[in-house]
Amino acid sequence: MTAATPMEMRDRRFGWMLTAPGLALLAAVVLFPILWAGTTSFFDYTLIMPGYDNFAGFGNYAKAAGDGEFLHAAWITVLFVLAVVSIQFAIGLLVALMLNDTERGKGVYYLILLCPLLINPVVVGLMWRMILHPTLGIVNWLLSTVGIEPVNWLGAPDMAFWTVVLVDIWHQVSFMVVLLLAGLSSLPAEPYEAARVDGASALQRFWHITLPMMKPVIAITLLIRMIFAIKTYDIIYIMTRGGPGTATDLISYFIYRRAFVSLDLGEACAMAAMLLIVIAGMTALLWRTMRTAQDD
Amino acid sequence: MASIELNSVSRIYGSGASAVHAVKGIDLKIEDGEFMIFLGPSGCGKSTTLRMIAGLEPVSGGDLLIDGARVNDVDPAERDLAIVFQNYALYPHMTVRANMAFGLKLRGLPRSEIDTRIADVARVLSVEPLLNRRPAQLSGGQRQRVALGRALVREPRAFLLDEPLSNLDAKLRSVMRTELVKLHRKLGTTMVHVTHDQVEAMTMGTRICIMRGGEIVQVGRPQEVYRNPADTFVAGFLATPPMNLFPGRLEARGDSLVLVAEGAEIPVPAATAPGWGGHAGREVIIGLRPEHLAEAPEGPAPAALQLSVETVEALGPETILNLRLGRNGPEIAARLPADGDWEAGQPVTLHADTARLHLFDPATTRSIPRGAAHAL
Ligand SMILES: Nc1ncnc2c1ncn2[C@@H]1O[C@H](COP(=O)(O)OP(=O)(O)O)[C@@H](O)[C@H]1O
Ligand SMILES: [Mg+2]
Repeated sequence: MTAATPMEMRDRRFGWMLTAPGLALLAAVVLFPILWAGTTSFFDYTLIMPGYDNFAGFGNYAKAAGDGEFLHAAWITVLFVLAVVSIQFAIGLLVALMLNDTERGKGVYYLILLCPLLINPVVVGLMWRMILHPTLGIVNWLLSTVGIEPVNWLGAPDMAFWTVVLVDIWHQVSFMVVLLLAGLSSLPAEPYEAARVDGASALQRFWHITLPMMKPVIAITLLIRMIFAIKTYDIIYIMTRGGPGTATDLISYFIYRRAFVSLDLGEACAMAAMLLIVIAGMTALLWRTMRTAQDD
Repeated sequence: MASIELNSVSRIYGSGASAVHAVKGIDLKIEDGEFMIFLGPSGCGKSTTLRMIAGLEPVSGGDLLIDGARVNDVDPAERDLAIVFQNYALYPHMTVRANMAFGLKLRGLPRSEIDTRIADVARVLSVEPLLNRRPAQLSGGQRQRVALGRALVREPRAFLLDEPLSNLDAKLRSVMRTELVKLHRKLGTTMVHVTHDQVEAMTMGTRICIMRGGEIVQVGRPQEVYRNPADTFVAGFLATPPMNLFPGRLEARGDSLVLVAEGAEIPVPAATAPGWGGHAGREVIIGLRPEHLAEAPEGPAPAALQLSVETVEALGPETILNLRLGRNGPEIAARLPADGDWEAGQPVTLHADTARLHLFDPATTRSIPRGAAHAL
């Protein structure tokens, strides 16, 4: 690097001037809350006795790490993320592959697929709560017409977890479809023709050509979906409030309750900070994957 | 080793009003071991024909036979042909070695056999140092070699090459032309090579199949096609600069035929062209190759032409003159040795070798044969 010329200096100053308002706004609404929460996580700060009088060091973190309920919520979240992302990926890839071979009516399919994605999660939760209502819901009524006993979708602990998983899949699967389809349709056609002449069957072409060439797109799609799934909050709040018991107590909802039901803001902030670190780590991974994908 | 036969093979893209008749029922027999060139301008259906042979494009009508067996509905995998694409179509995520090994692995060849074949081909094509690289790390010429190598290791019944040299620079292209010809001589495998470059066509093939608008115009050995172009299209397509074509009238004057064109009268001894006698009094298109004009009379029946120089292209080994025939006649190119000194505007006398003149029917654009006495 050589020393900046006066002209470059002026350009740089002008650049900062242009970005300053945006940066200030970001600092106010994003950076400040994060720093505030970060600070709070090191104090015994409750909403009953708010104040920064008792410095706790890593006390809140240690408490959270030893808190069985918190660990349970973390475990439920891991299960939820694995279930949701893997099933969505399987369905998403299948649908994307089919759509990629479709010539006619692609736009219509797209539109239908995008509908759930465009609905607000709160609305999705309310909608499915009504659809799955044990006595008034249409699903149980339909089941009854073919002689199946009514299912207590959100009332039974095991069932509730899978119901939430299913609703989230319904809501977000199109996201996978859209990203994977974009990846598929940008694959070059020539290697497929070369592979056909080389003697590869459709399955072999999928395995040896499509999957390897899609690897960066798949990695990015999975990571983005995982990051979003970890943060799932709205549909839990609307549909189960973490219940029955703690069967659907996802970590975001758990932290919310620790802060605004138990009013222990210090500990909630420590938990949030830990969640943030996990997500930041995944984002870094995502960033690296995208960079290496570009280099290839 | 394979012969390839096309019996009124056609290919129609789309349907209804928007249908594109890309190949219009062509007949062609490519013999076993031949180096056949498909030559023609862009969009004439060369690639489509090649892709139908490969099985990448369905045949809309007619029969496609390989070694006498109808293969219209046979999967490309089972045709045992190899194709080299214009853009190489390497597998981007595989190393050069894996690119070459892919087809062999799918066919279940043993590991040792695969390794030997790749080593042999890599040596022939000098791609040994590249075997562990990815296509993205190769230059255009190297990719081209790898694509060729991937076809070679397969040891297929025939090679199909779709303009494999068109993305190379001029020097590399001429090197690869020679390499391909050598390879063909060594392997003796049938090759079908698509190109729009007439130099490739003239220098590489055992036969040229010239196509236009989805039809075959002429098939023959390069010299044959060069000497006896079937119509004005072939005459104007082959060689640079191509044959001069200009309108004129064929007249009979006593024992002699005379071609009357704007700016010149060219006598042609009737005995040298018995086939033309019957066309006396008709309008014709006169075809005269630039290389058949010379400063000194040549051949059994030379005819002097008065011309004026318009532009001079000194190419080094030879000079191309663009000339005006007579005062306002057509523009004509002449290919002369480099040792002359010409200037624009200068009048010159050149001698046409009338024994090598061609006539074409203006209505059909087909060649009017000279007849038997052409043995000059
Ligand atoms: N997939 C396609 N759909 C519609 N028309 C096509 C398609 N491929 C080629 N064509 C048309 O068929 C004709 C022949 O194409 P092609 O065989 O690629 O020509 P060439 O290889 O001689 O340049 C062209 O008019 C082209 O526009
Ligand atoms: Mg082509």
